[in-house]
Amino acid sequence: MFALILKRLISLPFVILAVTFLTFIVGYFAPGDPILNLMGNQRDQAIYERLRTLYGLDLPWHEQYLRYVVGLLQGDFGLSYRFAQRPVIDLIRDGLPVSLLLGLNALLFSLALGVPLGVLAALRHNTVIERVIMALILALYAVPSFVLIPLLQWLNYQVYLARGSALPAAGWGRPEHWIMPTIVLAAASLGYIARITRASMLETLGQDYIRTAQSKGLRWSRIQWVHLFRNAILPILTVVGPAIAFLVTGAFVIETLFSIPGIGFLSVEAISQRDYPVIQGTTVILALAVVVMSLITDLLYVVFDPRIRVNA
Amino acid sequence: MRRTLAILFIFLTSLFTLSAAAQDTTTLRWSIEGISDVVSLDPARATDAQGFMVIGLLHAGLVRLNADLLVEPDLAESWTISEDGLTYTFTLREGAAFSDGTPITSADVVWSLTHALDPNTGAWTGPYLLSNIAGSAELVGGETTELSGVTAVDERTVQITVKQPSAYFLSQLTFGPSKIISSAAVEANPDSWDQASVTSGAFSVQAWNRGQGLVLIPNPNYWQPASQISQLDIVFNQDSETAYQLYRTGELDIMGGAQNPIPSARVPEVQDSPDFRSTNAFNVRYVAFNNELAPFDDVRVRQAFAHATDRETLANIVLAGTVVPTDRILPPGIPGSEVDVEGLAFDPEQAQALLAEAGVDPVSLEITLTYGVEGDNERIVTVLQSMWQENLGVTVNLEPLELSTFSSRLNDTFNDPANGLQAYFSVWGTIYPDPQYFLSQILQTGVGNNNGHYSNAEFDALTQEADVITDAVDQRLELYNQAEQIAVTEVGWLTLFNGQVNVLVRDCVEGVDVTGLFSAYVVPDFSALRGCPAA
Repeated sequence: MFALILKRLISLPFVILAVTFLTFIVGYFAPGDPILNLMGNQRDQAIYERLRTLYGLDLPWHEQYLRYVVGLLQGDFGLSYRFAQRPVIDLIRDGLPVSLLLGLNALLFSLALGVPLGVLAALRHNTVIERVIMALILALYAVPSFVLIPLLQWLNYQVYLARGSALPAAGWGRPEHWIMPTIVLAAASLGYIARITRASMLETLGQDYIRTAQSKGLRWSRIQWVHLFRNAILPILTVVGPAIAFLVTGAFVIETLFSIPGIGFLSVEAISQRDYPVIQGTTVILALAVVVMSLITDLLYVVFDPRIRVNA
Repeated sequence: MRRTLAILFIFLTSLFTLSAAAQDTTTLRWSIEGISDVVSLDPARATDAQGFMVIGLLHAGLVRLNADLLVEPDLAESWTISEDGLTYTFTLREGAAFSDGTPITSADVVWSLTHALDPNTGAWTGPYLLSNIAGSAELVGGETTELSGVTAVDERTVQITVKQPSAYFLSQLTFGPSKIISSAAVEANPDSWDQASVTSGAFSVQAWNRGQGLVLIPNPNYWQPASQISQLDIVFNQDSETAYQLYRTGELDIMGGAQNPIPSARVPEVQDSPDFRSTNAFNVRYVAFNNELAPFDDVRVRQAFAHATDRETLANIVLAGTVVPTDRILPPGIPGSEVDVEGLAFDPEQAQALLAEAGVDPVSLEITLTYGVEGDNERIVTVLQSMWQENLGVTVNLEPLELSTFSSRLNDTFNDPANGLQAYFSVWGTIYPDPQYFLSQILQTGVGNNNGHYSNAEFDALTQEADVITDAVDQRLELYNQAEQIAVTEVGWLTLFNGQVNVLVRDCVEGVDVTGLFSAYVVPDFSALRGCPAA
């Protein structure tokens, strides 16, 4: 297990370095110019040149990249072009907790609903209940958020018309702000988790040791808890880890449409503004999240599956 | 246990009283769309319409615009202009003070204008809007650290020297970079003063919730009596539809702007509501041709394309009357727009004749029209494409570009026209209501925004003459009119239509005017600003 952790920790800096290089080089060769974006109509060649020098954009690409990496090693993510030279680390510090909270809410919500639904579907295999659940799950999985959001907003408006008050349509700060974005963000992963749970349960149900346990005359409830769930949970873990990383950053549309000051929103805006330091900063954070989450997933595997412990 | 209960009880009752007290006051909730946050509260660093709007609420300048968009006194109670039009002498209001109570002096004015032009500020709005101030170029270029054109004569008197007489210099002083900041506050907090806790305008900042909004409170030291609202909540919504959802569930009092109006699909739902306000925007959508490249170096070809464009159909049918067709450059409402200009009417036969006269065979002519992907642009250029193909028989290719790429291609076209765009569709709006911003600023030979490289010596002479006239208003507008006629006849720009500013302002809100300016709103008298009673 320690070897596994060590291996991951050693590869981490290389992964991050590769990510920074790729984002840098793609950004460098992408058409568009951050300074021109900033200046809009107020173009003046002399001021433009001066600003390029000020932001270090007149340097050759390898010098710009070197500067960035050296800064990164010292924990300096650089300054945002757009937000009047605000440190990128400040922008991330503001946005990350918001995205994490939203992502965590969504994950808990999709687990709390997805796992029982999947279990129920598996235990009621080949019945109407299973078919209804599966239809619902498939719908949730398939409907994109830009369809779900207007639908929820419309429902919310109908509630407002009827009662004179409703959920806040957008914004962040109070718990009632969490409800609609959490539902939308959780919808897809809920469907996914329920499907995985059902499939895993069905597979485990067909295993010999379940039949053995039944023939031993064990109570069904004991078989369920001790033999069935513990074995069926493994594949769910595999999706939960990456799902967390995705939930944090996968809320681009949702954060924009609900005016949530998170990190996904920040990076989308940075891309359209060619705010390279912010793009690089958020990408590094995303890469870190994915690496760390897959490490945690691997560790959880070890905890839940003794066979891996032996092999490692 | 009993003690815990007692504390809990006290806590709950105090909460209740707090919320009851909060209900006695009026909060105005104002949405700003298209941004997730303001870039900076430093007036010199604000860059977009949204930023200028917030700066206008927080900081005051020497002068400001009134409801008719004319310049009126703000922190300066009066001013005189020397005979030669080169020296402005402002007298500050007696007792003028910042929100922390310290007096506003002429030294603050000198400091603020210098700050706006200082290269270390890293701003560009100041160098752009204040370039007429004597000594600005030397300061911007880093040759000196002082702004020679602005001097403090005494505590309450400031003198500004300009390079050339200008009728719009005072208008330029009403915007962001000319707002007055407390130099003492900057010195006391060099790192965080731009959070604007000390301001010179009608409001000051109570809280800045990054990425969400600003909580503003009235500045009791502003020279005008305080407004009737106790709190102004500025809410940022990147998406106009989101703001609309908040508005219709009672969470906002004002929404919409010049660049981000109510979503056009929502206009039919709200246009009969008393909250709906609509006015002509001071902007114009146009096609510009690269005058340095064949075939558009020939004026007859440009004219042929203009005659082949059916603006009425475009505006009234394709865009369902949400915009106003125009065949001139000045939008209605800009001084000088009252005088007529003869446009090039829709006339396919004339168009074909002109093309033949220019010796262009339409069958072999293939042109590319470039545009930025945004809003209705796709629909508009597709219609232009079919109009030109149908009426001229030419082949038109469309080149969509992401906005950032588009602006960088425009820059390339400006610097290297031979390898630039052939024709592009874009929009031009104004920060101050003056014909100079629509004519001299874009079509004079070689000026920074003349990406199509239109050039006409007579146009240049007329606009240059008009730019420096300060007293004879009619004569000035007459010169601009002659210049505009030349640019329209020669198709310096092929203008298509003027936009509309569509916004929602709750019926009970008073004192907010909707204008065609790019920051849309003007509060002419802060003491008359009223919000809605709490529900």
